[in-house]
Amino acid sequence: MARNRKVAVAASMAAMALLVAACTGNTTPDTTPEPTTEPGETTTEPNEPVDPVTLRWWHNGTGEPLAGLWDSVAREFEANNPGVTVEVQGFQNEELQRTLIPNALLSGDAPDIFQAWGGGEIRDQVAADYLKDLTGLVDEEVAAIGPSVGGWQLDGKTYALPFTFGISGFWYNTELFADAGITATPTTLDELYDAIEKLKAIGVAPIAVGAGDGWPAAHYWYHFALKSCSPAALSAAQAELTFDDPCFVRAGELLEEFIASEPFNEGFLATSAQQGAGSSAGLVATGNAAMELMGHWNAGVMGGILRDETGDEEATPPEFLGWFNFPAIDGAAGDPTAALGGGDGFAVAKDAPDAAVDLLKYILSPEVQQRFGESGAGIPTVDAAQDSITDVNLNLVQEGVASASFVQLWLDTAYGGVVGGAMNENIVNLFGGQGSPQGIVDAMKAAADTL
Amino acid sequence: MASAFAPGIVESSSQRLRRRLAQPFVYLVALIVCGIMVAPIGYVMIGGFRSNLQITANPAGWPDPWDLSNYVSVLTSARFWGQAWTSTLAAVGTTLGVVILGVMAAFVIARYEFRGRQALYSLFTAGLMFPLTIAILPLSIMLRDLGLYGQVLGLIVPQVAFALPITVIILVPFLRAVPAELEDAASIDGASKVGFFWRILLPLSGPGLVTVGVLAFVGSWNAYLLPLFVLGAGGAHVNDYTLPLGVAQFSSQYSSDTAGVLAFTSLAMIPALVFFLAMQNRIVSGLQGAVKG
Amino acid sequence: MTSLTQAGPTVPVGPARTSHARKKPRGSGRKWLEIGFFTGPALIVYVSLVFVPVILAAYYSFFNWNGMGPLERFIGFDNYTRALADPVFHTAVKNNFFVLIASLIIQGPLALGIALMLNRKLRGRGLIRLLIFVPYIISEVIAGLAFRLILRAPPNPTTFGPFDAMLNAVGLGELRQLWLADPNVAMWTVFGVLTWKYVGFAILIMLAGLQGVPEELGEAAAIDGASWWQTQRHITIPLLGPTIRVWAFLSIIGSLQLFDMVSLLTPGGGPLQSTHTMATYMVLYGQNRSQIGFGSAVAVILFVISLTIALLYQRFALRRDLEGSLTGREG
Repeated sequence: MARNRKVAVAASMAAMALLVAACTGNTTPDTTPEPTTEPGETTTEPNEPVDPVTLRWWHNGTGEPLAGLWDSVAREFEANNPGVTVEVQGFQNEELQRTLIPNALLSGDAPDIFQAWGGGEIRDQVAADYLKDLTGLVDEEVAAIGPSVGGWQLDGKTYALPFTFGISGFWYNTELFADAGITATPTTLDELYDAIEKLKAIGVAPIAVGAGDGWPAAHYWYHFALKSCSPAALSAAQAELTFDDPCFVRAGELLEEFIASEPFNEGFLATSAQQGAGSSAGLVATGNAAMELMGHWNAGVMGGILRDETGDEEATPPEFLGWFNFPAIDGAAGDPTAALGGGDGFAVAKDAPDAAVDLLKYILSPEVQQRFGESGAGIPTVDAAQDSITDVNLNLVQEGVASASFVQLWLDTAYGGVVGGAMNENIVNLFGGQGSPQGIVDAMKAAADTL
Repeated sequence: MASAFAPGIVESSSQRLRRRLAQPFVYLVALIVCGIMVAPIGYVMIGGFRSNLQITANPAGWPDPWDLSNYVSVLTSARFWGQAWTSTLAAVGTTLGVVILGVMAAFVIARYEFRGRQALYSLFTAGLMFPLTIAILPLSIMLRDLGLYGQVLGLIVPQVAFALPITVIILVPFLRAVPAELEDAASIDGASKVGFFWRILLPLSGPGLVTVGVLAFVGSWNAYLLPLFVLGAGGAHVNDYTLPLGVAQFSSQYSSDTAGVLAFTSLAMIPALVFFLAMQNRIVSGLQGAVKG
Repeated sequence: MTSLTQAGPTVPVGPARTSHARKKPRGSGRKWLEIGFFTGPALIVYVSLVFVPVILAAYYSFFNWNGMGPLERFIGFDNYTRALADPVFHTAVKNNFFVLIASLIIQGPLALGIALMLNRKLRGRGLIRLLIFVPYIISEVIAGLAFRLILRAPPNPTTFGPFDAMLNAVGLGELRQLWLADPNVAMWTVFGVLTWKYVGFAILIMLAGLQGVPEELGEAAAIDGASWWQTQRHITIPLLGPTIRVWAFLSIIGSLQLFDMVSLLTPGGGPLQSTHTMATYMVLYGQNRSQIGFGSAVAVILFVISLTIALLYQRFALRRDLEGSLTGREG
């Protein structure tokens, strides 16, 4: 009987292996010739047929327009490269970044091309030798992107390419501001406090914050740190993970004061950032809150929520939306024009086939970048596509990027998962009335020590 | 006068009144308890018939109109059926493995005399103290290195291993209960011990085998932690997840589509409910038997 | 843990085997071969996948390791001191014990009370039994997700989430809470959902145990003038002792290993990390942040706590019961 079972087990293992191989695709190295296109030209003729290759592509665009855009890009690439199949899949952002990608890399079965948020994650992934060194393979694209590619490079080598970059600021409801009697957008912290009081006076939640997801609340601390710390201190902290400069504690103190003025929507500890009408983006989109401090993608997110909530496929980001940069802090050590931003990019796995690099280049091609900008999904990085942005608010963000003398990558991205996670948790604790400004810095140092 | 409760007992009228009131009260309690048990499931299933608009407008309302699109889209998705298939594969594989390996090991412990038998039995029962939760991190690394990551086999083999303690504990008394006379009669007729196992013991232990099989099947079907590591972290395609893992992933990927998530969750519940209805006597008596002893 | 007593009744010696021998005499060699053959596969799978990982966990816990590459950075007990000093870990341990104790003092009596009440001839008894058991049969993940949807917070404070809307419909709208978002309430909510899931199981086990309590005892007590409650308290419940103790053991073990339900109801540790359990803490800080050494240390701590409690419980509460039940004849 045991013999029969062994045969059965062997047979089922073989069947299983075949089944799994068929379903998940393989990443056998292939011999795709490099496409012969000049920079600026688009590939209009299909390349020569090659050995069959399946590429797995993971991204964080679960809603429109990104989901549809990446799908189209995948299909076009397949059409232009016979023999190549692209399995493209979208995942929720936090899960993708914190769980799915790290685990896939750890297991040795990473997707060929995947979302790359830059900064400390690049540092860790390169140290663990997960990423393909793209230096020399993507020179045209790097030149077209400009300085913001820095967050995806290490020691001068390029490991990923950002397809969108922008800075965060306050998205606000112009109509509610008018109702509250706020005549000009705040440029200093005191003016912001003023605006908050006026909004409370007309019974509107001044600021929506998605503290349930952690990082949206943490961004407040990041901005306070950005405006309190000199660029030199920030660069040193990112490079060495040391946080001894007192400006970091000062940032927490400023945040504590800010929270004490009760500017947020009720139940903000439960509010998510992007999921549905109850999220912070949803609250602003539906007119239930006046402002949200959020990245440049927010208009697109709001449009998507409105489409889901009203069933109207044509719903666009609300007309009443405006944008202003985080206000300067009088008397603080930080650069008043400094901007906090980040972008999204795609990296290629170490052992991915060459077709994956080609796909990356296609994603970063001016033509696709132009469509990206026009879809309203965000601000493209490639120079040639900058005029694709017609949205007034995104133009403001673009100006913000252009006028910033110092751009800092999101701090949790810059410092990496371990320190970033500890930092975010302790900042959210402050939002919940626990912990202290010093406690945040202590936790960050303790986390850095465990690396 | 004699009461229906027990002939010969004389009840006072207040005792009888209390008894008469008790019966409807008990039905009320039973109704409330059953209602609480079933209501959340009802909410999820009925919610799947609404659209997101309806849900936003009235979170706890009745469908108006009844919208089939959510259920249809799940039932026509490769994802749902792929996950149902994986769950089935894992559960069947685990059940076969557990029953076969378990009955073989329990047979030896129950019917052989040898030094170390006590130690062997204690080895299996000690396994109750080593749950999957504690082993999961090193186990996942082990599975990764063995190449079992991202595959159903990587689910089946560990699940079999962790189900062995309870299986052996349930089966050993079952196998012991077969009288020694039967075994002797078999040996007089020329059957070896193995022959006795194959031809007499196994058929007689049917009920016990069904019980452990059902426990193993349900345990595998509902598992989450192991698939989270082996399939989720292991990088398997979404269509190859098991249903619980798939539901969790679906809910986070489509978090704004509440109605869709409700529909997906309802449909994921159905196989377990159907299985339970079909096997309820076995499941309930098996658990009761394992506890009563 | 338990001891095997002898097998069944003694066997009368049959006719001398040698005169009827048609097969090889049973040497101990052959016996050991059979033993090895039958237990081999089970033992290999079992020992390598159940025991070895825990030993490995103990080994990894002394290193700073991200799971890839060689184990190079020996740090002694640092992982342990870090976990034991972390307030979030303290919360996690506290939550495990909260669920453990609350299950015993709330679910137990609740299940017992309901079982006692249902332990009589009722029409539709089979259906009742069926419905009570349904929550147990559904995956914890699916149940957790269902409740997360039911208990979610409303888009703005003037509207209701689904559960609060239902409360409001019966006039209890005042009781609305941020069930899963308020750090003071969230863990209680988790316990509530766990109760929903597992009290049916407890009721059924108690009902099964009640089958073993003879009716005549109740009738005799009634003849002596005892009320229903007196009968339960002095006769029925004490006779249910072994059943209750076994259920309590299962409940304790389950409370210590809590993971699935908590992960789905309150992902990421819950509001202000108030709903972590030892297992979710281990997975978040160990696996998701790629600090396998640290996660392994947490696993070992969990193991030591579980083992200690289980051994103490068996020694003092369960010894009498188990010896009898596991060696007697199976029904």
